[in-house]
Amino acid sequence: MRLGPRTLSHTFGPATCRQKSSSKRFACTHQSLEQLNSSVNALVAISKTPRRTQHHGPLEGVTIAVKDNICTSLLPTTCSSAMLSDYTSPFDATVVRLLSDAGAHVIGKANCDEFGMGSLNVNTIHGPVINPHQSPHARNLPWALRERRSAGGSSGGSAASVAAGMCGVALGTDTGGSVRLPASYCGVVGLKPSYGLISRWGVISFADSLDCVGVIGKSINAIEKVFDVVSVYDKRDPTSATSELREKARSSAESCLPALSSGAQPTSLEGLRIGIPQEYFPVELDQSVISSLRTVIKGLAAMGASIVPVSLPATQYALSAYYVIATAEASSNLARFDGIQYGLRVPLPPGATRSKPSDVYAFSRSAGLGREVQKRILLGTYALTADAFDNYFLQAQRVRTHIKSDFNNVFRHHSVHLHLNRASAPRNGVDVLLHPSAIRTAPLLDGNGESEREGHEAPGLDEYLQDVMTVPASLAGLPALSVPAGLADDGWPVGVSVVGQWGSDELVLRIGRVIEELR
Amino acid sequence: MIIRQCSWRARQFQQLWRPFNFRNLHGQREALEDKRWPGWEVVVGIEVHAQIKSRRKLFSDTRTSRPGETPNAFVSSYDAALPGTLPTLNPKCVELAVRTALALNSQIQSRSAFDRKHYFYSDLPAGYQITQRYAPLAQGGYLRLPQGGVNVRITQIQLEQDTAKSTLDARRRVTQVDLNRAGSGLMEIVSEPDMRSPEEAGDYVRTLQAMLRSVGASDGSMELGSLRCDVNVSVNKLGYPHGTRCEIKNLNSVKFMTVAITSEVFRHIQLLESGQTVPQETRGFDEAKAETFKLRSKEDSPDYRYMPDPNLPPLLLSPEYIDCIRKSMPELPEATRRRLTRMGLTEQEAEVLMAVDAGREVGFDGEPGKGAVAYFDRLAQGRNARTAVNWMTHELLGQLAARKETFSDNPVSLGQLGELIDMVQSSKITGTSGKTLLRHIISHRSTASPLTLAQELSLVAISDDDGVLVKKWCSEAIEALPEEVDKVRQGNLKVMNRLVGKVMQLSGGRANAGDVRSVLGELLQ
Repeated sequence: MRLGPRTLSHTFGPATCRQKSSSKRFACTHQSLEQLNSSVNALVAISKTPRRTQHHGPLEGVTIAVKDNICTSLLPTTCSSAMLSDYTSPFDATVVRLLSDAGAHVIGKANCDEFGMGSLNVNTIHGPVINPHQSPHARNLPWALRERRSAGGSSGGSAASVAAGMCGVALGTDTGGSVRLPASYCGVVGLKPSYGLISRWGVISFADSLDCVGVIGKSINAIEKVFDVVSVYDKRDPTSATSELREKARSSAESCLPALSSGAQPTSLEGLRIGIPQEYFPVELDQSVISSLRTVIKGLAAMGASIVPVSLPATQYALSAYYVIATAEASSNLARFDGIQYGLRVPLPPGATRSKPSDVYAFSRSAGLGREVQKRILLGTYALTADAFDNYFLQAQRVRTHIKSDFNNVFRHHSVHLHLNRASAPRNGVDVLLHPSAIRTAPLLDGNGESEREGHEAPGLDEYLQDVMTVPASLAGLPALSVPAGLADDGWPVGVSVVGQWGSDELVLRIGRVIEELR
Repeated sequence: MIIRQCSWRARQFQQLWRPFNFRNLHGQREALEDKRWPGWEVVVGIEVHAQIKSRRKLFSDTRTSRPGETPNAFVSSYDAALPGTLPTLNPKCVELAVRTALALNSQIQSRSAFDRKHYFYSDLPAGYQITQRYAPLAQGGYLRLPQGGVNVRITQIQLEQDTAKSTLDARRRVTQVDLNRAGSGLMEIVSEPDMRSPEEAGDYVRTLQAMLRSVGASDGSMELGSLRCDVNVSVNKLGYPHGTRCEIKNLNSVKFMTVAITSEVFRHIQLLESGQTVPQETRGFDEAKAETFKLRSKEDSPDYRYMPDPNLPPLLLSPEYIDCIRKSMPELPEATRRRLTRMGLTEQEAEVLMAVDAGREVGFDGEPGKGAVAYFDRLAQGRNARTAVNWMTHELLGQLAARKETFSDNPVSLGQLGELIDMVQSSKITGTSGKTLLRHIISHRSTASPLTLAQELSLVAISDDDGVLVKKWCSEAIEALPEEVDKVRQGNLKVMNRLVGKVMQLSGGRANAGDVRSVLGELLQ
């Protein structure tokens, strides 16, 4: 099962990965992919279709892994759930079609937490993803003896496949941090774009109002190339931002920073205002994460950027609001998995009434949906009941409004959604926010294999705490990018997040590139 | 942290839990004494679900279907709730609902929104139905019933998805699911409890049906299931507050609805007179026994866990859009009646045309249907309206009726009938020939032009300027009927008709009766 020490030392690791720029043609045979994957468990299906060689397009030669909750017609789409273990979608998601049309090659489907629910990529029928990062402390240890750490979740397979050099870019989905967290843990770049920029047609919903398709890559360059192709209006997605709105937001972001938008990488950040939100430094935050962030801040300040402390007071309620909204929507979205039209359907045990739909559904859903998914469905179902609706669901929506206005209060530019004139934006507002992507480096995968959770209690609040840095941007629908910022004291990657106003994704990516080059 | 504060949504939520505002209602209508239940007042409110007559479903571009079509033949991945699919609102459905709202004098909301109603059942593949619980498309309004001039107030009109159809195969003990209907567009039209008798409830539904059909919003057929009613009934002593209401579900004809209400009224009165209370219930209707039966009590009513749909943005309707629809609205029945009588038709003639028109096929997506009124309107263009209506009602409809055919079977094209009338009006053929020609077109399903047919059938009127032919036929007739000739000569002019008839027979109907009469007169002097 585990890759032996012989192959390990020269097949992958940060050193080997870095040599292979994702923008260059990266030829990886089916066999070598399988070999790599056997130690990381990042891919759950590997494409057997040969790469088209004569396709010309902006993504010609780019290899891509697609998270397993994004529909592909040529490969199964399981969402890492027993419910869909045999499911192949009859259609391709819009993102997949756009990528193929642009010449990219889909190498396979990436492991993830079941239906995107989790922060460690351990809630999966395919077994947990092993973080492929090689800590400098463990360089001389054989693979099997190294500490096994989580790749983060829920897009753990996407981040790990990029980090392990299996593909140039990977698609993930981010509902509350599911792209940024694994990117941070695996030492790669992860972009959660503004809500509505990338079509969700074909993306299996966890929480529709929060779900975003995200892009993970080794570098900003790699991400930007893919992002440019997939960030287009799609009439099949009713939440897709119109071309006019995109243009409005883009020009608004550009006006604030002509130097940054001129195409060439800036040498000076004069005029740029970077906000550091004080609420993003909870007691649980690891000290060495803070020092990595400090290094980045120093670098940016040295280039002329103004560093401004800001406050986003509603942040303290973000996690609670997020879990109410996300679970409520999940309880609704996952109601369709009843085993009638498709998906797992178990034979009824004796005593069950065949003519009662509730019986037929209940046994299949209990067998097909994992513990974490069941837990969230129950929470969400409760939040939507008539008795709880006001105190939970509506209350969470109010918190969400507060979080959005918090962001609008600190940004130099108002959201284009607000229909306000520019004059009313705060003069002393910031252009982007900068904060740690996670409270710590990748956590250890306890136990010794796929059955981490078996026999254990379901995760406590600790796992949910991982999302504390990432959910506010999700609730507000803002672009957020996690960029590697060196290694922590334990030798594992740290990520910092750049968050911008809605639609300022290009600006966020440009600042990400500056940070990338500070290293 | 829990804050007990009522948001606008929650307030709306609570208002909807008490849909009937009893206080406002009392005193609005004079209490009616009904001989069937003296001393009691009956209060009825109706929720109508009308299928929107659109070619496509509400949130997918799948074709809508009729009952009886091959099961599961009109299903897209969205309709089957395959994972990864998303809804796209069909603007035609919105347009037809807006027409309905305008016809019901309802206030169309500039912002309405979609919500999900959750329950697990085999007819609901997604596990939820998209509806407009918190912010409906239109609020308020009224429908005026022609009988008694009662205005039934409308509470709200909302868009929602229809469900699939599940049927229990008792023999094989399996449930069969047909997704053809799943996701078709419905309008839910909720009335205030403004009706005071089973008959008034029947009037309301029939008037609503006619209105929906005339604006092209729905077939409105209870028999075909394109219009379904849930009826709320309560009973109270005259002068007292309203009683506890019971809801009767799934009534599929106006007749059964009135029977169900009547039976429910007697049940309530019986309970109340025996000193019991009426428990709030949802009830079904047994057509064979003409009785309602308990489906579930209020306590058993499911919690639908309504949630704003996170995929569908709010529906924003500008005043310009609403205005545009108002201007392109088809005529409402009242306006049609007024217009037809203004054109010179008698009320009876207008009524006949409109009654026939009511049976027409409603066009898809608001396109005008091919009804009797539309046919008449085009026929009367450039022609005398009374001539046109005579030919249409007496001849065309009469001959169709004689063949036990309806107007929808009418094989006579507008062009054919128009040409035929013009030929008669210009004396190219006689009226008698015209009727023969019409009969020929109907029975032979002929598409040829009436002129060609008249020539083929030798029905073209004789245009002999010197009257030689007519004279010849007249002489023949005089020879053939000497007795009648005598009587005419003796002054019995009634018998002249027999001579004229003989001439017509000899001419094969081509001679002009007036000409014949004067020629005969000359010859017999």
